[in-house]
Amino acid sequence: MDSTLPAVAEELLKEIKKAFQETSHVPDDLLLGLNFIFGPCAVPALDLVDQHSVTRVVSPSGRTAFQVLGSSGKLYTCFSSCHFCTCPAFSFTVLQKSESLLCKHILAVYLSQAMGACQELNVSEEQLTSILLAEEEDEG
Amino acid sequence: LCRGGLAERLCRLQNRERSAISFWRHQCISDANPPSDKPGVLIVKILEMFEECTIQVAICQQLEQSPATLSSENAVIREREPILKVLFARETAAYLKSRPQDVIHIYPPWQKLLLKNEDVPVIMNTYFSQKVLLSEHSETREKTCGLTKMLIRKNIVSLAQTFRLDDPDDDFCQKSLDNQAACAPQIHNNGNWKEHSLAWSAVNDSLLEMVENQGAVGWREVQVRVIIQRVYCLPAKEGCRAPVQGKKALCEAPLKSSDPPNVRLCFLVQDAYGMFSEVQLQSPSSADDVEQYCRRWEGKFCCLSGMKILQRTTRGRALGLFSLIDSLWPPVVPVKVPGQSQHSEMMTTNLSPPSFCYILTVPSGEIHVEVDEEEQISNLYQPPAVHGLKEILQIDGCNERCSFWAQVLYLRLQTKHSVPVNQREIWLFVTDSTLQNTAHSTPKVVAVSVAASCVLSTEIREALSAASPLVFFRDALWGKGRIICVERTVLLLQKPLLCSAAGADLSELTGPVRLDELDSTTQANSICAVRGTIVGVNESTAFSWPTCNRCGNGKLELCPQDRRLLYCNECSEVVISPVLKMQLEVFLSCPSRAQSRVKVKVWHKMSFHALSTQCIYYEVQSVLGKEVELLNCYVHFIASHPDCVGLEEIVLL
Repeated sequence: MDSTLPAVAEELLKEIKKAFQETSHVPDDLLLGLNFIFGPCAVPALDLVDQHSVTRVVSPSGRTAFQVLGSSGKLYTCFSSCHFCTCPAFSFTVLQKSESLLCKHILAVYLSQAMGACQELNVSEEQLTSILLAEEEDEG
Repeated sequence: LCRGGLAERLCRLQNRERSAISFWRHQCISDANPPSDKPGVLIVKILEMFEECTIQVAICQQLEQSPATLSSENAVIREREPILKVLFARETAAYLKSRPQDVIHIYPPWQKLLLKNEDVPVIMNTYFSQKVLLSEHSETREKTCGLTKMLIRKNIVSLAQTFRLDDPDDDFCQKSLDNQAACAPQIHNNGNWKEHSLAWSAVNDSLLEMVENQGAVGWREVQVRVIIQRVYCLPAKEGCRAPVQGKKALCEAPLKSSDPPNVRLCFLVQDAYGMFSEVQLQSPSSADDVEQYCRRWEGKFCCLSGMKILQRTTRGRALGLFSLIDSLWPPVVPVKVPGQSQHSEMMTTNLSPPSFCYILTVPSGEIHVEVDEEEQISNLYQPPAVHGLKEILQIDGCNERCSFWAQVLYLRLQTKHSVPVNQREIWLFVTDSTLQNTAHSTPKVVAVSVAASCVLSTEIREALSAASPLVFFRDALWGKGRIICVERTVLLLQKPLLCSAAGADLSELTGPVRLDELDSTTQANSICAVRGTIVGVNESTAFSWPTCNRCGNGKLELCPQDRRLLYCNECSEVVISPVLKMQLEVFLSCPSRAQSRVKVKVWHKMSFHALSTQCIYYEVQSVLGKEVELLNCYVHFIASHPDCVGLEEIVLL
């Protein structure tokens, strides 16, 4: 059977976007819906949105990626084409244990887009490539 | 959490919900309180269950009536009954322990979501659900259920499918450029991308947060945005004599001192929360750099990265550092308070001065210390407050940092032979118009002692031996009646671009400088002017020697060819007309200090023809009775029993 949750999540996010567009406000019941579906990453994701931590990075060819400034100050990259985030919570909770649909950063990306809170950054092709590949580099 | 933000709102809603849920009973016996007459209660029968990402999805049939009221025959599923997809949170599912065929009552508040292209509505926020147990089977059924673990199919959700938030028929553009949030100042987007993994990392504006996260993954990539309050050099600690690698150090070897530059360039920085930190550059620098960095960097914003914590120091252990910090406290603009939203202004009244400070090191180089020179001076910057010397002498306090302009009249190296020359204390005797132009109560000249820990640039050293230089003393220490230049004090020749002259009279000195006359208040190690009559000569101290008239070399030798002539090694020439320097101690009778025996070591220069050397004998007796008019002297000692004063004639710069 097809999975249910993604459709539910998508619809919820769409409702949030619609409500925000119409009233510049997100009603309580949608917030609670977020909490229900996304569990513990809902509040942290909203916090990231409050702090304008999400940046949409675009290159001239139209490729995009998202960079989210995590609470520890570290920058995480979220892909646009699939659900992927470079944070450890993603690899553990989403990939390994399948306990969550998204990590807080990816959710923050969606919420920021829904509420127009994304910052925009234009970079060159090489720069975008290095963002997408940056996690492969060794520390120090 | 941001005050008034969405996260805070959700937190509050969550807390309210949680307290209500904690009282909820998830199981009930069906005879009691049939809920069918209660509004908003959903009655469902689970047909099928599976799990997705900890959410339990139950395909249910909505029942209009409580099944207890139905007979078993009527409990047959009829096709017309609406199908619902009910979602249960992980905790709720754990309480319910539902199985297919179970009947669940879902009490409000719950939410219904209609998906596009799907007939089946989704029910969520089902925290207040109750499983109905048919009384006759309840106990045994629960027991068996508890023993056998039910396996629920788990759906793995594909990550390949992303959410599309915009409807195809919507005009609304995904990019929403007009809704673009104003760029937060911390994201540094100046288009100067550096092909470097460090460059585009997150920028923080809290030093404390950055320090507390040390050790966290990616800490070293964090950048902190601070403003530079002061730039100075600190002598590098003993044992840390790094080899002189920088190009600058090799080319610009200081003229006066023979040691390689063993100093570190340091910045006293302050973050948006008002917290200070002393940041030291790892590689050694030259003291000559300080002046240009002061001019270019003080007051500007700076992004630091790659920092290491050297030390966390406290007020009691670093008095010098904290006296400087105190001079910059309280902040001149409101600073942020941790924990509050970025957008709220906080007051700075009643903020207590800092009690601790982190000392950080940072590798040299533009990548790690990125100063935005073009940007305006920050409002947080506090330039040094310049005062006249007269005002400073009246400051009532100890260890106060003060800044002033002064003319250096005389320089004296404190002779302690056990200490190497470049580490000896230098005493400068300075004055300014506020001291020169006032009446008797204040001294005309003030002594400033420069400790070895105060790093002097080559330029300053040269200027100090030249004619009467005007020097800006920045952040000198005043206390116990003395001005001292220590670590973090900077002496500059250039007028600082920004300084608040708090009513100081910074006018140039016009007319000759006057020294205080020798009197009963004169102290040792000061300079004064003396006048009187020569009443005695200490003949045993008379001493004269010829010097070269060209270069002043006092060590002339007898010419090997003609031993009547003098030869100067420095000029490599015979000295035809040497200058005779004489030193003599005389005793003066001074009206200003009549009861003292004033002994003055005087100097004289006389040129004469070499051939008459052996004939010249300085007639000491001829000076007796001569009047001495305002001789400038250095006071070597003042003794009380017997009352005598030892002076030495000096030449002011």
